[in-house]
Amino acid sequence: MSPPATTAGMIYARPTPAKRAERAVFWLLRLSTYFVLACAACIFLDIGLKGGAVVFRKEAPFINVPFLTRAPETLNVLEFEGRKLTLGDAAFRKFRAEHEAALKGVRVETYVYSAGGIFPNIVGTVLLVAGSIFIALVLGVLSAIYLSEYATEGPFIRFLRLAIVNLAGVPSIVFGLFGFGLFVIAFDFGVSLLAGWLTLALMVLPIIITASEEALKAVPKGYREGSLALGATKLQAITTNVLPYALPGILTSSVLSIARVAGETAPIMFTAAFVVRDELPWQVQQWTDFFFQGVMALPYHIYVVASKIPQNEYTRDVQYGTAFVFLFTVAAIAMTAVVLRLRLRRKYKW
Amino acid sequence: MPATVESLPAARPSTREALLRRRRGWFFGLTGDQVVKYVFQGNAAVSIVVLALITFTIFRDAVGFIPKNHANLVIYRLAGLEFVDLLREQVAAHSAISRYLASVRAGQLARLTKDGGLTPAEAMTRLAAFDAFANRFADTLGEHEALLGSLTDLATSLKERKKVAEDLAEARQNLLGAVAGAPPERAAALRAEADGMTIEVIDFKAEIQPLLALRPEIFAANERQRAALQELLAAPPALPVPAADRPLDKFGEFVNRYLAEMDVTARRLATWNQDRPIGWMEAFNAFAFGRQWVTASFWQDWYGVIPLLTGSLLIAFLALLIALPLGVAAAVYVNQVARPAEQRFIKPYIEFIAAIPSVVLGFFGIAMLGETLRRVSQLPGLDWVPGFPMAERLNATTAACLLALMAIPTIFSLAEDAINNVPRAYQEASLALGATRLQTIVRITVPAALSGIMAAVLLGFGRVIGETMVVLLCAGNRIAIPDLGAGFGVVFQPVHTMTGIIAQEMGEVVRGSIHYRALFMVGVVLFLISLLVNWLAQRIVRRYRISIG
Repeated sequence: MSPPATTAGMIYARPTPAKRAERAVFWLLRLSTYFVLACAACIFLDIGLKGGAVVFRKEAPFINVPFLTRAPETLNVLEFEGRKLTLGDAAFRKFRAEHEAALKGVRVETYVYSAGGIFPNIVGTVLLVAGSIFIALVLGVLSAIYLSEYATEGPFIRFLRLAIVNLAGVPSIVFGLFGFGLFVIAFDFGVSLLAGWLTLALMVLPIIITASEEALKAVPKGYREGSLALGATKLQAITTNVLPYALPGILTSSVLSIARVAGETAPIMFTAAFVVRDELPWQVQQWTDFFFQGVMALPYHIYVVASKIPQNEYTRDVQYGTAFVFLFTVAAIAMTAVVLRLRLRRKYKW
Repeated sequence: MPATVESLPAARPSTREALLRRRRGWFFGLTGDQVVKYVFQGNAAVSIVVLALITFTIFRDAVGFIPKNHANLVIYRLAGLEFVDLLREQVAAHSAISRYLASVRAGQLARLTKDGGLTPAEAMTRLAAFDAFANRFADTLGEHEALLGSLTDLATSLKERKKVAEDLAEARQNLLGAVAGAPPERAAALRAEADGMTIEVIDFKAEIQPLLALRPEIFAANERQRAALQELLAAPPALPVPAADRPLDKFGEFVNRYLAEMDVTARRLATWNQDRPIGWMEAFNAFAFGRQWVTASFWQDWYGVIPLLTGSLLIAFLALLIALPLGVAAAVYVNQVARPAEQRFIKPYIEFIAAIPSVVLGFFGIAMLGETLRRVSQLPGLDWVPGFPMAERLNATTAACLLALMAIPTIFSLAEDAINNVPRAYQEASLALGATRLQTIVRITVPAALSGIMAAVLLGFGRVIGETMVVLLCAGNRIAIPDLGAGFGVVFQPVHTMTGIIAQEMGEVVRGSIHYRALFMVGVVLFLISLLVNWLAQRIVRRYRISIG
């Protein structure tokens, strides 16, 4: 560094103890911040690398198609004629039929859910998320319109806001208990999609209401007044002059709540998720059965494969593969929300 | 702006008329706008309804726990299980001393073979005197164990008979209930079957006598044990390797304490009264202050929330201990120090961390973090840390580290908001007076935002204590009150939590059983904690708004 030329420069450049302390503390803050970021990066890297190896392939089609399109199976590991064989359930049955005699006395280790793929889980998660977000959006946006456009201060509104804030703080497992007690048992839905939808929808409702209200409030008052002055009714003013401008904001918030809904495990554990189910959701006898069937879901599957089967080289693939698919799907959804919000902030400045 | 003008239908009344006449609809005489308003309002009211329903549902299922636990405790006393447990405690205390001797022996053996350079066989011969002593000590318990065994059998069979009688009574009730809806001949058959059931009425007062008759034998055994123990204490063996903490003196202390406790137990056995009634409060206290959570046991089920509550709190505080400095530091850094480019990168990134599903974090804990932490704890340079090396790879610390990562985004964004809301004039005034940026931050900005930061921490706490999957997967799931005797090492013990127990056991319980209701009671505790945290946070935030003016 060249020596400071001016007096002012000299005064400023002299490292006083206060300045030195400031530098040190700022570095400490910087390190703490980046430490947090590094920890998160570690998780993304670990799961990304090990899971990516399962999901992606080096040669075309570059994606492990069977893993994404087949149902979970039991993995059979056996030593046969000096080779280690790892077979899925169906393949193993065929193999056993062919080598009936040679297989006598051969020790076969089995690991549940460690072969095949995770297709039914993906389908189940998509169904759960789609249904619950639909319910939550309808309820949430209408509530938000009421809160921002119609509500006038009063005991009802105060009580309403109190309920929303408290609802946002209720732990997800309590929502699970509630859904189990009310929908599964009292309403007798059984462990079903419908019970899961309602439980998840009610869980994200406060988030959607708060975010949508914010988006609605951000629309300048002049838009409403202009519309009302031209003789529109209140409803017309809302539908034509408020909602269209608030819609991007509402959608952003709902994308973020999709990430939240998809990521939650506790509420669906006893309301909607099955450990294993052979039929796919659309294989039902009547269309009404569709709503009253349990589904397999990705987060619950991760819980099951992480806690119920041993950790070893045979089970690692399905564990990391499932975690990878799940984490990066949710991350992609969240990323969309974050990017959308940034772009919106730049676009709508009033 | 989109076009809103619609072409007017031909047959409309004149404008003036339309404006003057308020058209009332067919729907309860409401105007269209009012209908719309009520539709919106009704939707908004859903939130209130849901909160009310949650409260109602979980309280309804939880309240039934009290009478069920009351019945549970009544049988515990009537069938004499409580009486037997008094003696069991004494036997357990004796076994604990035996275990202490075994641990002393293990220490001695290690010293002899490692430091002394003896072969295991040689070391064994050096320890022979000590072993004989330990065996003689263990033998003093023989009589008590036999007594305890026969007492246990008596009480269990009594409880079993009571249970069979209850089951029969329930079956009979079901039969009689079916009578009402059945056709006549079937009803007669059902009634006959119900009448044919003989339900034993157990006279606990008389049945308990064989148990109580063993009292003199217990007291006689106590006296013989006392004599034997005093004889042992009089002639302790010499330890092959003298130890600084004088384990045998400690042993003598333990034995003397044991003897004192024996007298207390004897008095409690003598005065134990089967008729003492059990109050409703006692049934509730057995939950709220119960120190044991034991289910599906052949002996007696206990539903005490304390081990779960302490486990949850331990993990939550540990997580906050990590998340609080990091979260607040990040908030201060991003808001006050970082360049705009850094801000644009860090803020979405941390928001992104919040989106990591908890089950994935839990999986990461099982697959990577637990093992990594244990490896680190086994490094020879680190054995000065209390609790190192870790006994279990899944423990409170593993879970707390991951929970901290979940709490950091919550704390970060709320704290950053709070700091952002501090009026610029405060900082500018401070800087104008010649303070450095650090002085401004420490003396002005952070204190002004303090209540907001506190609210952030509270909400982070709420997030952490209500989190399920991470603790279920990574906390080790051992149902025990963390042993504070281990000092700081307590944070490396496996624990179980309130959220974890619900998730783990809810799938397996019989609906409506006492266990099911106990889990709902735990849910109520969680619910109340979350309401309390929210209420506190709101109070703090409200005050903070005023302070900023």
